Amino acid sequence: MPTLTIDGKPVTVPEGTTVIQAAEKLGIFVPRYCYHPGLSVAGNCRICLVEVAKSPKLQIACNTPAAEGMVVLTRGAKVEEGRQAVLEFLLINHPLDCPVCDQSGECDLQNFYMTYGLYDPRFKEQKVKKAKAVAIGPKVMLDAERCILCSRCVRFTDEVTKTGEFGIFNRGDRSQIGLYPGKTLDNPYSGNVVDICPVGALTDRDFRFKARVWYLSTAPSVCGGCSRGCNVDLHYVLDRPHLAQGARVMRLKPRFNPDVNRWWMCDEGRYGYKFMDQKRLTRVTHRGSESTWEEALTALAGWLARAREEGRLDQVGVIPSARLTTEELFLIRKLFQEALGLKNCLLDLPPKDGTSDGFLIQADKNPNTMGAALLDLSPSPQPSPIKGEGGGAGDGLSILQKALDGQLKALWIFGHDLVGLLGEEKTAQLAKQLELLVYQGSNENPTARHAHWVLPGAVYVEKDGTFVNCQGRVQRVGKAFKPLPGARPEAEFLVELAKRLEIQVQGRTPEELFAWLAREVPAFAGLTYEKLGWQGMAVNLSSSSRKRGSPIESGMTNP
Amino acid sequence: MTVFDFKSLDSQAKVIIGRYEEPRAAMLPLLWLVQERAGFIPPEGEAWVSQKLGVAISHVREVVSFYTMFRTKPAGKHHLQLCMSLPCLLKGSGGVLAQLTERLGIGAGETTLDGKVTLSTVECLCACESAPMAQVNERYVGPLDAKSLPEVFRHLLEEPHTPARFDEYSSFHVSTGGPVLSKRFKNAEGTWFDAYAADGGYEAARKALTSMTPAQVTEEISRSNLRGLGGAGFPTGKKWGFIPKASSKPVFLVVNADEGEPGTFKDRYLLERDPHALLEGMIIAAYAIGSHKAYVYIRGEYFRPAARFAKAVEEAYARGWLGKKIQGTGFDLEVVIHRGAGAYICGEETALLSSLEGGKGYPKLKPPFPAISGLFKCPTIVNNVETLSCVPPIIRQGAAWFAGLGTAKQGGSRLFSLSGHAARPGLYEAPVTVTLRDLIMNQAGGVRQGRKLKAVIPGGISAKVLTADEIDVAMDFDSLAERGTMAGSAGVIVMDETTCMVEALASAARFFADESCGQCSPCREGTGWILKVMNRIRRGEGRDGDLEALLSAASRMEGKTICVFADAAAWPVVSYITKFRSEFEHHVKTGTCDLKREPSHAHADH
Repeated sequence: MPTLTIDGKPVTVPEGTTVIQAAEKLGIFVPRYCYHPGLSVAGNCRICLVEVAKSPKLQIACNTPAAEGMVVLTRGAKVEEGRQAVLEFLLINHPLDCPVCDQSGECDLQNFYMTYGLYDPRFKEQKVKKAKAVAIGPKVMLDAERCILCSRCVRFTDEVTKTGEFGIFNRGDRSQIGLYPGKTLDNPYSGNVVDICPVGALTDRDFRFKARVWYLSTAPSVCGGCSRGCNVDLHYVLDRPHLAQGARVMRLKPRFNPDVNRWWMCDEGRYGYKFMDQKRLTRVTHRGSESTWEEALTALAGWLARAREEGRLDQVGVIPSARLTTEELFLIRKLFQEALGLKNCLLDLPPKDGTSDGFLIQADKNPNTMGAALLDLSPSPQPSPIKGEGGGAGDGLSILQKALDGQLKALWIFGHDLVGLLGEEKTAQLAKQLELLVYQGSNENPTARHAHWVLPGAVYVEKDGTFVNCQGRVQRVGKAFKPLPGARPEAEFLVELAKRLEIQVQGRTPEELFAWLAREVPAFAGLTYEKLGWQGMAVNLSSSSRKRGSPIESGMTNP
Repeated sequence: MTVFDFKSLDSQAKVIIGRYEEPRAAMLPLLWLVQERAGFIPPEGEAWVSQKLGVAISHVREVVSFYTMFRTKPAGKHHLQLCMSLPCLLKGSGGVLAQLTERLGIGAGETTLDGKVTLSTVECLCACESAPMAQVNERYVGPLDAKSLPEVFRHLLEEPHTPARFDEYSSFHVSTGGPVLSKRFKNAEGTWFDAYAADGGYEAARKALTSMTPAQVTEEISRSNLRGLGGAGFPTGKKWGFIPKASSKPVFLVVNADEGEPGTFKDRYLLERDPHALLEGMIIAAYAIGSHKAYVYIRGEYFRPAARFAKAVEEAYARGWLGKKIQGTGFDLEVVIHRGAGAYICGEETALLSSLEGGKGYPKLKPPFPAISGLFKCPTIVNNVETLSCVPPIIRQGAAWFAGLGTAKQGGSRLFSLSGHAARPGLYEAPVTVTLRDLIMNQAGGVRQGRKLKAVIPGGISAKVLTADEIDVAMDFDSLAERGTMAGSAGVIVMDETTCMVEALASAARFFADESCGQCSPCREGTGWILKVMNRIRRGEGRDGDLEALLSAASRMEGKTICVFADAAAWPVVSYITKFRSEFEHHVKTGTCDLKREPSHAHADH
């Protein structure tokens, strides 16, 4: 454990730590282009030069091992002159096309020039010409002139995805980043190269020219695209309706979480945000006609109250969704399973299934299968959320089968698409034979068209709450902005419903509901939103009433 | 279009891959095989190599595009590569290019319509004693003068005429008198096993293997004051001592035969004329560092030197001096010859290792140092050909004898490559205490045609230039360092009064811009910047502030990169402009050169 001094401050670090990491520990930022904590050290950009006592030359902080008694300066005339020189070299062949570059505002050439450069340029020669605006894959655009050849993208496709698409061809100032002719950057994680590109060489075809980054607001969240629950930052714009057809969400960016996704996320999750703004339900409807929340509440509470009185609650089926937050699922359990005593309240529809890749992508496309399982809302003995296999499959369709058989008179569906499962005809028949078919969800789907009542729900970034990922980690999804006008968080409506039915609920907000949940469900004992923070915490699986065993680290094989 | 059925090479590929610890290391040999069979490297060939080695095809293309000798298009039947580096330029390669262009009707980089001749310009081929020279396919030809050019044209255009080899009709000098390295240089066809053995060859290896411990060998080398003669001058014994004593990994000896420093051609002679001296040095060195496998990295352009050395390796295996249980001792040594493919940077030891491992010639970050983690992440010693060739005489005649030839800090002699305007260019062996004046004025017969000396580069093109007044200096590493320049590779480039220093620096600038690997930003961008400014000044388009920009760019490149290539690229800029400032200012101001130049020494247009 060497102790060294950086800018006069002592710091003790584990053996093998580099100076750039030791500086970080002190909160001292050393500029970098090629260095990335998730990739091997390349040491080629030379911007992280620091002064090390007794070394005649400046040293690169990214490859200098911290040593006992080492004295490092990350500022001072010599370091500043060195950095400025490196910047000048990096910029001589750079096209300086910032006004038309999508990276503007989050470009480390711009940032570091303003911080460490500010020289009068002296290069007055013809710049090296290279290829511009080349679509190298479905997601990524390459501008080779802007590239500073830091090789982060090369190392990413070599070391993380092991797909090896990128190369730096030629040599000297003719060196050029690119793909082998005819090849495409289409691996499932291609979007990450845009994140790690420190300049405007690799830009995101989905995001390009949609909004200047300085108009973006950021909210921490979790990707809902699968059961991995990669931590993300949601970048959104609320006050510029002329951008992107009025969409609020502009892009997702992975947010570092060492236990879940490190710096990365998959393309499916990254580009799967559009449902948040598109094809949203924003009107309560009753048999095709516009209605109101009040009418819906009165009608549904009335129907359930009558059924309770008549002792035919066993004719009611509720199918929650593993896309709901843990808090909502808990409320459904309290309200439907416990207070009303419904036997047919289970998440037993086949999930949207995919395949697992042993890295981040999970087969189970629901973000909260584990949460549903911990709340006993999945049918026994399936699913096996521990293994990360398709959750909620159960014996499958048992409630739906009962409804089709005429045993049920009412069905409350959360977000599922019955048409996809049963087909148009059977769904229509079901709607006809049921007294009550409720669809509560955020987005349009064919089922909503058949439902007697449509209750527009909120997408998760509009409501806060938690998901429990496939590793058994509870993570807050955060609330970035309020629901679209007309839509309401599911929990909010269910709380109102409980009130009408004179059922006691211990909380209204997601945070209060979570506190209630933590009091009642051993796996969540002791957890609070504050404790979860923005990196989440593991649930206590051994205390779970279901004794599902401990979570397995599934697939974090990234070096 | 199927260019070639590469599948038919599968069994050959298997043998080649089997020579290396990691399949990827077979990258250059397999690409050579593809080019040899298909005439160039087509996409199908890249795909085949990619599949054989399990390396992404993008990385195969990276390698193909990095090395100048790999072609992605077919070349003409004869590929004439004219050297345009400073030593050849000083001897009129600009004029030769003009003649070639006129006679062949094509420019550099083009092929004649009949597909007979491809013309290229290249950087130093390291045969500066016969400048101006060229390579025609695998053969060197030169000097390209009024006598030889017609022969070359006949060869190119009226086959099957074969021109005389360049060293059969030239008047350059080759030392043959020793005291250390040149004793067996008399026979231009090479000294082979029997002749070598008859001259006491392999006695030193026998002595080391049978009567000395590895530590004693290293100690003897340390006491001899042998320094790294590739150019860095690091004490050889000390370097060997860096190998960890108890390594669980194999130790490698790597021979740097990637001679490429413009103005240097010594290793070529050692490989061609006395290859067993190198082999014997390798056996002793491998024994000292505990290595049982040695790689010899020979520059791609050196076809004949590589063939000669390969013959010596064969002989040594046949005579029991390589392989298992050498001469009945318990010591084993395998030798693998590995060919470069056209990249000066691969002479830098860590770039050489990257190249040997199948990558582009990118120098590696230090730490770790090669002695700890080098080739295939194993302890590795990289030594130059000349350095290792000094080892047998040291063991045979003793460290004291070798040390006594030199200074207190550097023992022995060196092979000095004299080129440029020396009256008698060639390879001169002399103790390192010899002065630059003695070398040029006495041994090499002074400056050509009795002209006045203007400047000398003492140690290859990277070394800082010396003026005519600065040549009273001994040629050992320390004396030259004291004078602010370096002994480097001992390539002495002589420039007479007709030399335009702007032209000379522009040539160096082009060399460094062409050869920068492009890894570190200051070097990649700085070398290109300097070249562009120099070319502008040459064209008579200099501007106020150019010289300051050049000096600043050069000094800002220094000491900021992974290897010292950037420093080497910066030194000429600083030294030429500082020492010949008025000449540069005149060029910038007037756009013209006032020097009376020979017609053959025109300002080359390239």
